Amino acid sequence: MDAATLTYDTLRFGEFEDFPETSDPVWILGREYNALTEKDDILSDVTSRLWFTYRKNFPPIGGTGPTSDTGWGCMLRCGQMILGEALTCRHLGRDWRWSSGHKQREEYVSILNAFIDKKDSYYSIHQIAQMGVGEGKPIGQWYGPNTVAQVLKKLAAFDTWSRLVVHVAMDNTVVIEEIKRLCMPWLDAAGLGACGDLAAAAPGELNGCAEGACALPGDDVELWRPLVLLIPLRLGLSDINDAYIQTLKQCFMLPQSLGVIGGKPNSAHYFIGYVGEELIYLDPHTTQPAVDPCDDGHVPDETYHCQHPPCRMHICELDPSIAAGFFCRTEDDFDDWCMRIRRLSCHRGGLPMFELVDSQPSHMVSVDALNLTPGKTLSQQVSCHI
Amino acid sequence: MPPLERSQRPPPPGKPFKQRKSFATRKQEVAGIRSKFPNKIPVIIERYEREKFLPPLDKTKFLVPHELTMNQFVTIIRNRMALLPSQAFYLLVNNSGLASMTLSMAQVYGDHQDDDGFLYMTYASQEMFGQL
Repeated sequence: MDAATLTYDTLRFGEFEDFPETSDPVWILGREYNALTEKDDILSDVTSRLWFTYRKNFPPIGGTGPTSDTGWGCMLRCGQMILGEALTCRHLGRDWRWSSGHKQREEYVSILNAFIDKKDSYYSIHQIAQMGVGEGKPIGQWYGPNTVAQVLKKLAAFDTWSRLVVHVAMDNTVVIEEIKRLCMPWLDAAGLGACGDLAAAAPGELNGCAEGACALPGDDVELWRPLVLLIPLRLGLSDINDAYIQTLKQCFMLPQSLGVIGGKPNSAHYFIGYVGEELIYLDPHTTQPAVDPCDDGHVPDETYHCQHPPCRMHICELDPSIAAGFFCRTEDDFDDWCMRIRRLSCHRGGLPMFELVDSQPSHMVSVDALNLTPGKTLSQQVSCHI
Repeated sequence: MPPLERSQRPPPPGKPFKQRKSFATRKQEVAGIRSKFPNKIPVIIERYEREKFLPPLDKTKFLVPHELTMNQFVTIIRNRMALLPSQAFYLLVNNSGLASMTLSMAQVYGDHQDDDGFLYMTYASQEMFGQL
């Protein structure tokens, strides 16, 4: 092929460059593919993910607010995508595949309805933007990965259909005991388990009160509320520290992976996997007209799936501010995730991105004790003027 | 010892500590601190130059007990800034990596102390994403 043809092709299809012919393994949300022999499977998997983009002409947010999120909503859309993936795993399973023009399962329609751009959908742009006000983000402001994670945690409490626990692990630390208490609230209610005392001592320190406030389900078979674990991180100041690259790749190899929300500077992307040194992502930066559900509840769904080859970028271009996501449907899934994370941190292939600990260090539980001391200890510690 | 600067205002945002003082001065400072407080670690904490959300700290130099964990240290700084638990706050050691929260300050110091004897940390929240 001569250079002129290449240039022409690149100009015309550059944005949707075909998937590379490589023998490197392709990892998509915990599944491994061969790019040479399984290209159709890769594309089918990618297309099956929910793709949320900028939209225009939706009902004004808050009644009088914006009717489009172009320019500001990209991280909110990425938040929708990672949660959409969690709901897909929750209600349809990781192996479920979408196909164009087919009548979809009832659960699928319910998931899509949770994201439609109108005020009363559980996770609509309206709900996310308005809940962000409580996080100090007026409507139309840009979000970071942690902002949208915090908002999703609050919104999930109202989704009585999915009954998810959305936990946001702060300070790059995942505390196993804390998660078990959230996903098995009956442990506390029954006064069972090793963490009973702690819970009694610090009931307000739970991951938001909504989870704890839920009544026990009518059927007593629910032993574990499905967990969406979001871990906001900063893997460097202006650029990602190379030592994290291997660890980041390993995130996409875990069967519990929900991918990563983050981006290039200013542009948020939903990263779903990698091949070689490239990250594979879904890009919300396309403005599509808002979709009106039909009267019968049917939602035209073609524009909610990315039907061209997914975008790719070099991993070094990644902005260091990210949030990694994982889904654990059962307690076994979570125990398996913990085991895999521990195993990864033993192989020193790279720097761990976060730490997994069994229980809350005591000072984190009793914040009051610390409040008494900082003045004193700090005035002793902080003899700054030397 | 040089005279104390008793400024009530936070230090001007300008140059980072390392650029304000020569290596020799910094080294001398550490020697002074360590002889006076042998069981404390001298730490420099600065705000990331492009940080827009977290407030500046009123102090840059901290003397920290060896046995304090990173987690306790972060909690102290978070409280000092009056941050909500849901607000993103990251302390990066030597402008590069997140220190494990269970390590003691002595361990972090052992691994990452600068040639001048200080331990350098930078704090930052997260970037926001959007386009005009």
